[in-house]
Amino acid sequence: MIIRIGDNIISSLGFTTKENYQAVKSGQTGLRFYGSCLDLPEPLRASFIDKERLNDCFAAICKHPGNYTPLEQAAILSASQAAEEFGIDLSDPRVLFFFSSTKGNVYLLNEKESGFSRNHIYLWHTARVVAGYFHNPNTPVVVSNACISGAAAQIAALRELEAGRGDYAVVTGVDLLSKFVASGFQSLKALSTEVCRPFDVARSGLNLGEAAATLIYKRAPAGDKEDIVLLQGAIRNDANHISGPSKTGEGSFLALKAILENTAAAGDLAFINAHGTATSYNDRMESIAITRAGLNTAPVNSLKGYFGHTLGAAGVLESIISMQALRDGVVLPAYGFENGEQEYPLKVARTISPAEKSHFVKTLSGFGGCNAALLFKKKNGAEY
Amino acid sequence: MDELILNLKKEIIEVLNLEDVKPEDIIDDAPLFGEGLGLDSIDALELIVLMEKNYGIKLKDPAQGKEVFRSIRVMADYIQTNRTK
Amino acid sequence: MELNISKYTYINQLFASVNGKKLVVTGAPEKGKFLTALYRKLNVEYPKFFKMDTLSKLGFLASELIFENGKQRFIPREDGVIICFNRSSSLETDILFQSSLEPGNFFPSPSVFVYTLPNIVAGEIAIRNKFLGETSFYISEKFNPEQIFSAVDIAFQNNKTNFVLASWVESFELSCEVFMLLVEKKTGKDAIPFSIKCITELFNNEHLYG
Repeated sequence: MIIRIGDNIISSLGFTTKENYQAVKSGQTGLRFYGSCLDLPEPLRASFIDKERLNDCFAAICKHPGNYTPLEQAAILSASQAAEEFGIDLSDPRVLFFFSSTKGNVYLLNEKESGFSRNHIYLWHTARVVAGYFHNPNTPVVVSNACISGAAAQIAALRELEAGRGDYAVVTGVDLLSKFVASGFQSLKALSTEVCRPFDVARSGLNLGEAAATLIYKRAPAGDKEDIVLLQGAIRNDANHISGPSKTGEGSFLALKAILENTAAAGDLAFINAHGTATSYNDRMESIAITRAGLNTAPVNSLKGYFGHTLGAAGVLESIISMQALRDGVVLPAYGFENGEQEYPLKVARTISPAEKSHFVKTLSGFGGCNAALLFKKKNGAEY
Repeated sequence: MDELILNLKKEIIEVLNLEDVKPEDIIDDAPLFGEGLGLDSIDALELIVLMEKNYGIKLKDPAQGKEVFRSIRVMADYIQTNRTK
Repeated sequence: MELNISKYTYINQLFASVNGKKLVVTGAPEKGKFLTALYRKLNVEYPKFFKMDTLSKLGFLASELIFENGKQRFIPREDGVIICFNRSSSLETDILFQSSLEPGNFFPSPSVFVYTLPNIVAGEIAIRNKFLGETSFYISEKFNPEQIFSAVDIAFQNNKTNFVLASWVESFELSCEVFMLLVEKKTGKDAIPFSIKCITELFNNEHLYG
C-alpha cells in the first residue's frame, strides 16, 4: 500500500499546502493581468510565485542560496517542507527522488551571463542538484512527459515502491514561467488574457502559472495508519496528433478505464479533478472521455482557474489540493465555470459542496498525445 | 499577382516543410486545408506567423486564418490588399 | 517472466543497422542528409517525417526499421508500451525556438514549439503505428542499461503488456543516435535474452565500434 505522508505547495497562493488550500477554499485566484512581463510583446494573465519570499525562505534554510537557480530553490524548499510533516530524513538511501519539470531552467538559454554552469540547462542535473541538496545517494528519476509529467512521476514512484526498490518516494514537480514558455503558448493561440473558465461554454483559452509542489509517499503494510492512498495510475496515448487533443478522447478514456478496472471505486468517487485547461479542445476531449468511461454522474472540477496551468507541477499540485478536499469532505468548485456545454454534459462543480464518498480521480493530458489518470482513496475508505 | 502566388507557394513549402511538394503541385484555387496537402492546425498557426513575418499582416485569431487560408489565391489577394511590407 | 529482445536497431548520422547488420543506404552524399536518405530507402509514404525535429526523426526511423514487415501495427492496440530515454531532453529544438525570440526579430514558431518536449518522439511513434498504450520519457545523464532494464521489467508486470519498445534517443551537439529494442515475452530458443548485460553489449557494439 502506497500512502501519502507529506506534501507541500509553493505557488502564487502561498508557500504551504495549508495556505494554498485555504486560499482555494475561500475562492481566491493567483492569476493576475500583466500588460507587459517576461519581455513579451503581448499582455499575459498568469500566476507567479513571490520571488522575494522565495529568496527569504530559501536563505533561511541554505547558507549558499546563490548556488541554486530560482527553480531549484523552489523545488528544494518544497521538498524540504514536505519532509517536515513526517520528520523524514531525505538523505536516507531508502528515499527515492522523482522529479517532474517540463522545461526546468530553460530560461538560462536567454541569459548571456547567468553565473550558473551550463549543466543547469539539463534536467538530470537540476534533479541531481535538488536531491544532492539533501545528500540523498540515489540517482533521481526524471520524468519528461509534457503536461502529464506530475502524474507520470507519481506513477513511476508508485511502481518503484511497489517493486520494493525503496521505502519512501519524494515526488517534486516544478516549473517557472519564462519568455520561452509563454511565447510558445502564445504562438499556439492557446492563452486567454481573462481568468480561464474550465468546462464553461464561453471558455477561451488557458492561463499559465508557476508552482513547485512535493508529495511524499511511503510503502506501508496494509492496515498501517493510513491517510491518503495512491491506488492506481495509468498512462495511455491518443495515437492521434502531437498537439491536438483526440476527438474521441481515446487516451484519456483508456487511462480512466485502466485505473477503474477490477474495482467498484467508480461508484464511490467524491469527484474527478480533471485537467480542465479551459482550451476549447482539451475540455471537450475530457468531457467525451469522462462520458465514455461512464463517470459523468460524478462531480467534476478543475483547479486551473486558481493557479493557471502549472505544467510539470500541475499533476502534483492538483493531486495535493484534491487530497485536502477529499479529507475535508468537500468538492471544490471549478473557478470560472458558469454554464456547461450541452453536448457532453458533466456535473461541473459551481460551488463548494459536501462530498461523502471516499475516492477521487485525477486526470491530466498533454502534448505528444499522452493522458494520465490516478485513483486515490482516503482513510477508512471502502476497500474494493 | 502571379509572382506573388508563386513566391507564396515557395514560402509555404519552406515553412511547412513540404519536402516532396513542388510549387506547381499547389493549385491556386484548391482548398489549402482538408485533403491535398495534408495540413493541420499547427500548419495554420505557422501560416499566421508567415503572414506577419513576411508581409507584416497580423491575424488576430485562428478563425480569421480559416477565411484567409481558404486557397492560395484568397491568401494572395488578402496579402496584396493588406500587406505592410 | 522470461523476456526476449526480438529485434534491435541503431541509427546515427552515418549509418543504420538492424540486429547488428549494417544497412546499405545510398544517396546520402551530403553531411546531415543521412536520415533523409534512410527515409527514402524505407520507401514509406509519410510526409510528416519532414516536419519532425531530429529527435523525432531518429525515433520514427528506428521504429520503422523495427516494425518493417511486421504485423504488429496500424490497427489500434493498447498492449504495447513505448519508453524513451535521453540525456539532453529536447535542448536542440529548445535552442532553435529560443533563437526565434530575439528582440526586434520575435517570431516564435508554433511548429518548432511543439517539439520542445522530448516525449513528442514517443507520440510520433504511437501515432504512426496506432499504439494506444503507455508512452513515457525519462531523462538520465548517460545511457543507463540498468534503468532501461528496470523500466521494461516493470512495464511487463502489467499482464496486458505484450511488447515494449524501449529506446535511447539523443540529438544534441555532437550526439545524434537512437538505439531501439523491441522486447517481448519469450518467443523462441534463438532469441536474445533480455538482460542488462545484453542491453549493454548490443549498445556498445554499435555505439563504439560501428
